[in-house]
Amino acid sequence: MSDLIQAVISPEEIARAAMRLREVALDKDLSPRSVLELFERWAAALSGNGTEVIPGAPFLRLWLRRGTLEPILERELGQAVLNGGWREEGQAKLRAFPLGVVGHWPAGNIEIQPVLSLSCSLLGGNACLVRVPSDLVEATHLLMERLRAVDPTGMLLERIKLVTFDHSREDLQMAMARNVDGAMIWGGDEAVSRVRALPFPHWTRLAVFGPRLSFAAMDAETWNKPSERFSWCQRIARDVWQFDQQACSSPQVLFLERGGCGDVSPFMDELRQAFRAENQAHPRREIHPSLTSAICLARASWLLDNVANKAWFSQSPDWTILLGEGTNIPKPTQGRTLTVLLVDDLFQVISKFDGAVQTLGLAIGSAEKEEALAHAAARRGVDRIVKLGRMHVFASPWDGMDLIRPMVRVVRHVPSQDNAGSARDRRERIVSDIKRGENDPESCKSA
Amino acid sequence: MSNLPDIEERIRPLLASEPYKLNVDEHQSALLALLKDELAYACGRSASICNYVERWPIDYRTSSRIADLPFLPVGVFKSDPPLALVDRSEITRTLASSSTTGQVPSRVVLDAGTAKRMTKGVMTIIRDFIGPTRRPYLVVDTAATLAGSGELGARGAAIQGLRSFATELVCCLNSNPAGDLQLEVERLLEYATKWKDAEVLVYGFTYVIWNHLVKALKDHGVVLNLPNARILHSGGWKRLQQQAVTKEVFASGVADTFGCSPNRVIDFYGMVENVGVVYPDCEQGNKHVPTFANVIIRNELTLEPVALGQRGLVQVCSVLPTSFPGFLLLTEDIAELIHHDGCPCGRRGTAFRFVSRAPKAEVRGCGNIETFRVRSSANIA
Repeated sequence: MSDLIQAVISPEEIARAAMRLREVALDKDLSPRSVLELFERWAAALSGNGTEVIPGAPFLRLWLRRGTLEPILERELGQAVLNGGWREEGQAKLRAFPLGVVGHWPAGNIEIQPVLSLSCSLLGGNACLVRVPSDLVEATHLLMERLRAVDPTGMLLERIKLVTFDHSREDLQMAMARNVDGAMIWGGDEAVSRVRALPFPHWTRLAVFGPRLSFAAMDAETWNKPSERFSWCQRIARDVWQFDQQACSSPQVLFLERGGCGDVSPFMDELRQAFRAENQAHPRREIHPSLTSAICLARASWLLDNVANKAWFSQSPDWTILLGEGTNIPKPTQGRTLTVLLVDDLFQVISKFDGAVQTLGLAIGSAEKEEALAHAAARRGVDRIVKLGRMHVFASPWDGMDLIRPMVRVVRHVPSQDNAGSARDRRERIVSDIKRGENDPESCKSA
Repeated sequence: MSNLPDIEERIRPLLASEPYKLNVDEHQSALLALLKDELAYACGRSASICNYVERWPIDYRTSSRIADLPFLPVGVFKSDPPLALVDRSEITRTLASSSTTGQVPSRVVLDAGTAKRMTKGVMTIIRDFIGPTRRPYLVVDTAATLAGSGELGARGAAIQGLRSFATELVCCLNSNPAGDLQLEVERLLEYATKWKDAEVLVYGFTYVIWNHLVKALKDHGVVLNLPNARILHSGGWKRLQQQAVTKEVFASGVADTFGCSPNRVIDFYGMVENVGVVYPDCEQGNKHVPTFANVIIRNELTLEPVALGQRGLVQVCSVLPTSFPGFLLLTEDIAELIHHDGCPCGRRGTAFRFVSRAPKAEVRGCGNIETFRVRSSANIA
């Protein structure tokens, strides 16, 4: 195990680590501006050095840029946050303070998630205790090494403790939970439920990013337009390829609205070409045998279940396109397996959505129709409605939730002395005094 | 044009010949044309199979190697009704896999012809390992496992498969009202006394033998004194891995219990979907492929056959079934390719070693939802 990620074996190790982290978080201010500066350097350091093979690394590089995070900070915590001072609100002053130690439980199959998760709580000035899933140790280590290269004084590193242990070690999970003031929990249903049930102190704030699914949809005007068809197909392929289609935001099904256009063959031909090209540009380097089995089963089941169904796939498990029709949403396979379903009306598809759907990637010709679809989808629980090809371009709010604000306390200070009030208060008082003086000569005199 | 009588006619000599005499090239050419014709036959019998085969990236009609032929993942046999190439009236028996609680078992349908070939296939293979003589057959299971005329479980099918070697069959377990298996100790000891010097055939599922016979007898310090017993077992190691029982520990524990040599304990690999084919360990610890079947170990990343010494997903091939499309099946098991030819045991052709079931991936991804909670299940297209 590396010096950056510690394999822990006892609850005491976790408690000690959390205590040290809390001291740092509570004793030393960390301004968002300085975090942004360091993140900017970290992003630049993530080019090359072996990090390029980590799935999602390009996204992380973009995420850590000031241009991405500054607007998020300002939107969630206000414009004054960058300076780290108090902002005024009426007679009160407000300022964001860290919760203290934030525990992170990233999902086991998104390589960049430990770093992504801790970056959110660092922006709030917190310290981070991160459980790195065993499969992500190598990738996380590579990413953290780049932080170490740009953080020689340890300004951020002293606030980060990465630990790894088997997920079945209930005693260690409990120790982590007992020692954190906030928790960011990511993953599938079972994992999220298990972490939520841990014995957190009553004040611990939980931000839960549970399992979600995403879909894509196109109207006939868009998929049937020869001049634009291939570029849309390329966008779909990009969305499918990123994160090996395992992210919440990965499209599992593409709904094509018929709209009177019967022949889908030209579109499917170009989608196939786009998949082949994307596969050539971004070949898979490894795959879990059970995913290979699942992909083979998805192909066979699709074609055996209904003789009207069609499919195109590579000899390897690299990519799969399954074509059918109807609004019944099939069980997702992931692993670059896209189901394309022809439907009569996209609104009928959306009427079947519930809170499980996170992102809807759209390619719609008419702006009015798109607005109506977006409205319908939002009402059905969808948190993100984006252009196809940008399904993984995340900003806050993430799953309909702020990312930084849940891990800070916004402290309100109402000064005890009137003259300590805000500048605006003082201005308002003067104006009011003047107005009173104009009507009351006595008052003017006394003033 | 592929018709069933022609296919059956071509299977016959493969079943009648010695099972391990062909080298890999001879084996490939003996099977390739027949498997292609069986695929064509299956396409003619089933529109859904035809839909799958015709969508395969390589046209099977022009394929020059078995590895390019369209295979089915074994998971498709969990469908209901089971995949069949025969009319319902022709089905004489349905075999079901052993499945862990809550999982759907695989089911395959047999007609008379396939059932006959299944028996012949198992006999041909087992005879090569234990010889042709019939002998007393001790079954480490309950008589109830063999009951039922329509559907037979994996344990029952394996027990029946060895019946051709039996003079008489005795089951040494029963089940209590709660369904727990219990050893009939007195019956077993009587049996051991009666046949103490005889060649005895013993069969049971691996975990059943260990949990319900070996452990029970060990607790009482009982040794059966059957030095000529030949103990065959199958059914996987998953439940014993949890108890840290390795293959070596198992063989030595069983041998101690029966009072025989550990090399008389033979593990064999098989599955109901691969009817008529079992893969016993040779004395080198390798599994061999009989003339009427084939095994391809595929790299999970490319699905191409692996090189010697490498591991991958196991594909089993068999020319025996004609009642269901079980010719080319991708399993969820991992094995290592040991030889293409040249095992010191003398058996020719491909040799491999079973490694494990493919471990389930940690399904903790943020995109993983087992079932989508649709508000309405109606298909409105």
